[in-house]
Amino acid sequence: MDIGLYHYLSLAAFLFAIGLYGILTRRNAIAILMSLELMFNAVNINLVAFNRFSGSDGLSGQIFALFVIAIAAAEATVGLAIVILIYRNWRSIDADRVNLLKW
Amino acid sequence: MEAYVFYLFAFIIIASGIAVVTMRNIFHCALMLIFCLFTVAGLYVLLSAEFLAVVQVLLYVGAVAILMIFAIMLTSRLAGREVQLSNEQTFVGGFLALVFALGIFYAVNATYFVPSDAVLGRENSLAIGKLLMTEFVLPFEVISVLLLAALIGAIIIARREGN
Amino acid sequence: MINITPLIPELFLLVMAIVVLMLDLFSSRRTVVVPAYVSMAAVIITGFLVFKFGGDAVRWGSNAIFVADSFSQFFKVIILGAAFLAIGSSFGTADRMTHHRGEFFALLLFSTVGMMFLVSAKELILLYVGLELTTIPLFVLVAYQKTNRASSEAGLKYLIIGAASSAILLYGLSLLYGYTGTTYLNEIAQKTAVYFLSHGFIPNAEGTTDLVGMGPAFSVALMMIIAGLTFKLAIVPFHMWAPDVYEGAPTPITAFLSVGSKAAGLAAIIRIFDGMLYAFSHDTMPNDSWGTMMAVLAAVTMVAGNIIAIRQTNIKRMLAYSSIAQAGYILIGVIAASKLGVASCGFYMFAYMFANMGAFAIVGLYAEKTGKKNISDFAGLSKTSPIIAALMTMFMLSLAGIPPLAGFMAKYYIFAAAIEAGYTWLVILALLMSVVSLYYYANVVRIMYMVDSDNKHHIIPSFPAGLVLALTGIGVLLFGILPQSILDMAYKTASSFIF
Repeated sequence: MDIGLYHYLSLAAFLFAIGLYGILTRRNAIAILMSLELMFNAVNINLVAFNRFSGSDGLSGQIFALFVIAIAAAEATVGLAIVILIYRNWRSIDADRVNLLKW
Repeated sequence: MEAYVFYLFAFIIIASGIAVVTMRNIFHCALMLIFCLFTVAGLYVLLSAEFLAVVQVLLYVGAVAILMIFAIMLTSRLAGREVQLSNEQTFVGGFLALVFALGIFYAVNATYFVPSDAVLGRENSLAIGKLLMTEFVLPFEVISVLLLAALIGAIIIARREGN
Repeated sequence: MINITPLIPELFLLVMAIVVLMLDLFSSRRTVVVPAYVSMAAVIITGFLVFKFGGDAVRWGSNAIFVADSFSQFFKVIILGAAFLAIGSSFGTADRMTHHRGEFFALLLFSTVGMMFLVSAKELILLYVGLELTTIPLFVLVAYQKTNRASSEAGLKYLIIGAASSAILLYGLSLLYGYTGTTYLNEIAQKTAVYFLSHGFIPNAEGTTDLVGMGPAFSVALMMIIAGLTFKLAIVPFHMWAPDVYEGAPTPITAFLSVGSKAAGLAAIIRIFDGMLYAFSHDTMPNDSWGTMMAVLAAVTMVAGNIIAIRQTNIKRMLAYSSIAQAGYILIGVIAASKLGVASCGFYMFAYMFANMGAFAIVGLYAEKTGKKNISDFAGLSKTSPIIAALMTMFMLSLAGIPPLAGFMAKYYIFAAAIEAGYTWLVILALLMSVVSLYYYANVVRIMYMVDSDNKHHIIPSFPAGLVLALTGIGVLLFGILPQSILDMAYKTASSFIF
């Protein structure tokens, strides 16, 4: 059986849902950031697969994915900085337990 | 042959992805994340996106995941211990995620996407470089500003103040 | 080679953001005045440049990447106005910081530049990068009070929610890209419109070679794009981050968040929905299901925002829920999908900017002076600071939509657009909710004027804060009495859409 666009799209759908599950159920902030990375990767699989199998104008899907990677890295950096700040003030990075504000 | 490789990669990605969101030791989660992201890079090679695969390894595996491990080691005295990482919403979260996955799975498979007749050449990396300097030069420049802002922001936030 | 003339305002503001960074490096660290005034001047000059270099577009081939049309000009004025007022009311906040004062203003300017790119973007990658340039500095600004736990916690929450909503938006955009094979909005619009006009709204499983095949994934894509963008606008059910983030963030940043990022997100929604979906939603879909879906979102948002706002005791949380409700009203204008609809959205945002920035400026001033943040703490303000109390009254009544203030005209135009488009039930509900909202807005006024207290705090604003209050007060009054000039301008903005 040939591997085509739909295989990749299905894989991306499941990976995205796994990331979503992580965001909804994790309470450690770093674990939530990891789940976010899974979601961004699912998006990238989509983009690259579309670019390979159905994009009609060259490489804009791959370039889009390149930008997503760079921005996800920037977001992770700022996120981990805030996590470290909170740990210093709180000695905890539980997203649930740090609840001065209601979640 | 390609099919076997794809199914192997898909299995690794899904299994390590599930491990990332369910394991109880945060350090193991990070290792699984690296494993998962590395395999995604392999998938990019299958999709003839070699440049992207290299970027994925450099940026995700080389930078983001290492950053995560640093953050874990800086923030928890529990790096080696198993702790409660999940909250009480596992059932609701699992249900929502499953509905979501099956919904998208159905939607994309019931949809016809126009196939392309273009063949991606061997000179992808060259073409991407050219596009970034011509057609996509505007977002390329804007993202450099974004990275500067993120850099400044992360330093401000994470820095320990002198007093 | 691309033409950079339309980019001059953005480039100027970028250079000035870096200048502000450098100024902080080389000047003595005692004062906040230099970077703040330089930033304010930069914002004003950028405003002039926006008009000077408007009308053109950055193109690649026949596709626009970045347009400086009248629509984006109008929203840039609102964004720059919000930035100016936020910087003006930041002096007190920044003064009490022990560190990184220059960077505070530089990050605010970076975020403003991101918003300007967002409202002008006609290409998905630029749109996404602009969106992130808007939010990443805001994550930092929300968490800026490093020793304040609520602030750090708000920053983390905003970052997680912001990144998750970006991921959802991106998934939708990737499907849209898969359909059309292009990232240019005008090509996407053409391809989808051609398909709908020739085939009607029936999913076609076989597809044809020259047209884009439509199927359920298209609906999924649009739903995910709506979800991702309404997160940024804090529309119910994607609103839960707003109250906590608004409460925890430094007050001027809260104000900027509630006006600037809302305006930018609104512009992106209008561009995608009124600019693109209109082509088929009115001609080919008999019962206009996208409009109905958005109308339900708007209705739920107005009801939930207004009713939860009644129960709030903290003034920032109250204003947060009020701003959720206001986003519901604004969405009505988007749904109307007409010239008047787009114009009324623009005018509403304009009026909302003055009232909301003014209200938050007073809240910030009061908290700086007294350290108190509850609505009941405003008791007796009419005795100690009558002018401040009078201004606060004006802002509250403008938000509630009482004539002759700007908020009234804004609601009037929104409702007119909705009735014109046939959404009478939505207008009736919105009117009812305006009455409900009067309860909590007027409650603030009642407490200031009717409740006695031994409050002896006399609030004297500094010069920049006074300037902010004067400008917002004049704006609320002037554009309530003479809305015509702004409305004409807003009306012109709709010319970039095909109605």
